[in-house]
Amino acid sequence: MDRPKRYENIDGTGEMAMGVMMLSFALVGYLSSVLPEGALWRRNGWATFEFIPVVFIPIWAFQHWGVKAIKKRFTWPRTGYVAYRCSGRSWWTWAVAIAVLGAGIACLATFARRFHALGLERAVSMAILLAAYAFFVFRWSREHAWKWAVLVFMALGLLAIGLVVPGGAVESFPPVALFLGLVWLGSGVATLYSYIRHTQPPLPEAG
Amino acid sequence: MNEQLRAISGLDRVIHEPGRLVIMALLAGVKECDFLYLLHETEMSNGNLSSHLARLEGAGYVQIEKTYRGKVPLTLLRLTRAGRAAFEDYRKALKAAF
Repeated sequence: MDRPKRYENIDGTGEMAMGVMMLSFALVGYLSSVLPEGALWRRNGWATFEFIPVVFIPIWAFQHWGVKAIKKRFTWPRTGYVAYRCSGRSWWTWAVAIAVLGAGIACLATFARRFHALGLERAVSMAILLAAYAFFVFRWSREHAWKWAVLVFMALGLLAIGLVVPGGAVESFPPVALFLGLVWLGSGVATLYSYIRHTQPPLPEAG
Repeated sequence: MNEQLRAISGLDRVIHEPGRLVIMALLAGVKECDFLYLLHETEMSNGNLSSHLARLEGAGYVQIEKTYRGKVPLTLLRLTRAGRAAFEDYRKALKAAF
């Protein structure tokens, strides 16, 4: 029964967090393109880990302050407070999933560079990013049918970026991340708006 | 009596009542939640939910903690270790029966 887990995103905070993450990646891409060649940031290209704080600090800050503020202000007074169980198994599952995904993307990028299959690299990376949203909607937010329209909009947007922006997956990543970040964020804000419209804080608890 | 029928007759009657089964299933998926969450998810009335929770508390399956968030009263609910074990046994028995 995954209903309690789906409750976590009833207010759209999961999508907003994904949006913040994608916007952070867009910022990384932007910084990589504007900083001088010899800068510490660009010394090792994308292989460097200096960009990690730029990605993780906004996500952590949003999770720590943003999500908590939304839950405290809107969700808990309207439809209740829930704390989730943290089992060792789920932590390991996430760690393995992230490691496999990262290794898969790295292998794909290496393969594409070696065989100059940049078109393939771009198409596959965009398909993965699109599938992430589709999976999210299917798994956690099925009750909002309009999100399938957002998915179509996302696909059309990615297609347009793929046609307009020259270069490989690395070159097109900043605009792709910016676009996806804004769509994820917009989807989360729309979910929050819909949630606020359709729920009301009840009278003081009688339990 | 064969194994399947024995499994059905051996079901925990405290959990088997539909209202309490919904409550147990919801609580099994979380660490803790408040009364309002269960009210929202189960769509029961305050009185109905309170009486089911009292029955589950009486059986030692649910722990009820009355506290405050700021100045607002807050009722926190969580399954006890015995409650979690009983719910797991109930699931296994139901699977064995059907």
